[in-house]
Amino acid sequence: MDRDIYQEEILEHYRHPRNFGAIKKPTYSSSAENPLCGDSIVLELRIKRNKVDDVGFTGSGCALSTASASLFTEWMRGKTLAQLRKAKPSQLFHLIEIPITPVRHQCVLLPLKSLQRALGP
Amino acid sequence: MNVTSIREQFPLIRAKPKLAYFDNAATSQKHESVIQAMDIFYRSQNAPVHRSVYKLAEGATEAYENVRNHVREFLNAKHREEIIFTAGTTASINTVVSGLAEGFRKGDRILLTDMEHHSMIVPWQAAAARKGLRMDFAPLTHDGRLDMPAFKTLLAKRPKFVGITHVSNVLGTVNPVRAIVRLAHRIGAVVLVDATQAAAHMPLDVRKLDCDFLVFSGHKVYGPNGVGVLYGKRELLKQLPPFIYGGHMIERVGREGAIYAEPPAKFEGGTPPVPEVVGLGAALTFLQKLGWKSIRKHEHKLTTYALTALQSVSGLILLGPTQTKGRAPIFSFALPGVHPHDGSALLDREGIAVRGGHHCTQILHESYTLSGSMRVSLGIYNTKEEIDRLVVALAKVRTKLYG
Ligand SMILES: Cc1ncc(COP(=O)(O)O)c(C=O)c1O
Repeated sequence: MDRDIYQEEILEHYRHPRNFGAIKKPTYSSSAENPLCGDSIVLELRIKRNKVDDVGFTGSGCALSTASASLFTEWMRGKTLAQLRKAKPSQLFHLIEIPITPVRHQCVLLPLKSLQRALGP
Repeated sequence: MNVTSIREQFPLIRAKPKLAYFDNAATSQKHESVIQAMDIFYRSQNAPVHRSVYKLAEGATEAYENVRNHVREFLNAKHREEIIFTAGTTASINTVVSGLAEGFRKGDRILLTDMEHHSMIVPWQAAAARKGLRMDFAPLTHDGRLDMPAFKTLLAKRPKFVGITHVSNVLGTVNPVRAIVRLAHRIGAVVLVDATQAAAHMPLDVRKLDCDFLVFSGHKVYGPNGVGVLYGKRELLKQLPPFIYGGHMIERVGREGAIYAEPPAKFEGGTPPVPEVVGLGAALTFLQKLGWKSIRKHEHKLTTYALTALQSVSGLILLGPTQTKGRAPIFSFALPGVHPHDGSALLDREGIAVRGGHHCTQILHESYTLSGSMRVSLGIYNTKEEIDRLVVALAKVRTKLYG
């Protein structure tokens, strides 16, 4: 069962998500909803000198969306705005590492949807 | 009723004896006779219906129209023209909403309930935005039944339309539809009964209910996907504008315009899903042969058993009525700390297929301040042993997530 989506690494992020909680003086924030279950994640960002100075997320999600938000916000730290704008679904799948069935793609991609909404077109 | 023999009659259940299929409210498995009827139709009867006059086509037309008679009898409708074949409940409801809304005026009220499926809510929301209609939602009691005093208060606002689900696809609640229709008719409202979840579990009698419209889908009564029924009182169907325009729904077309056909053709524009209709006929035959008495007896037993079993799971919060009476075998619940997606994905590993999410009822879940739930919905092939397995598996879910 090495391809188990409920493997310890994921569950560890689910039980103890990184960057969980609101941040001070966010410069960007947005929420996005997973149409599959109605869960929503609010993402907050503070950009200083064109770089991610702080990032946090709130909301409740399944193990996959929570772990994805935890990993993705970790990745975001220190990145430039341009790098954030370039983030693609493949980035999140890469961070999650395990193969995800199509129905649950939306769970993994929820934090990306929030980010894209926060940064705007 | 012999469940073992019933299970043998469902090819998918027979092929996967270890799977506890608990997602019947989303879609049921197909009875052997349904698959066979469609197979035979494609192999030896397939032809266009209604317009071609060679023998093969006449046979296909007869097969198609025979099912209309059959559905008339199944619903105890007065006239065969009151039975319309659609693509499913969603198409049926859209047909009614779109037609009625054309005749409604700004400020007219629509009364729904908090337990309606999105397929009832969203078409009306779109129509309300177009026509300036006002929508009210009757609230529920704490145990998931319709709050009748509140419903009556909203009815006093004299809505033009009342939409009510016969059985909630989440709570399993069986609504007092007959009483509701009577109350609504007193103030002159048109009533649509969504019988999608009721159709597989209890007999339907549109004359007894006296509802104006009633809808259901083939795929939830052990029949095929892609076919559904819209029942409407003859006079109302005559007045209702068509919904799908095109071939077959016309009497005559000229450059200056078209004259529409009479119902049912008026609402069956385009080439209909003939094999699916034939399959639906087989599904209804299966249900009738089995008989409501034995279906209800089996499902009643399962319901009582499941209610006790689920409530024995520590921490489990059951949505909806806790008594078997006035309840269908549909159970939604929350397990604190377990997201419905994770719960259903983990149950899947134990060979148990349940639904996790909002089940197309976000308003209902909001009223419980939940974003989703897990749902176990049973059918005639389910057993007590499968429910026992569920209880054991539910205990494992928490251990897996939290160690
Ligand atoms: C109560 C109820 N109404 C309507 C529908 C919609 O049915 P369909 O998706 O077959 O059109 C469903 C099922 O999804 C339902 O459970």
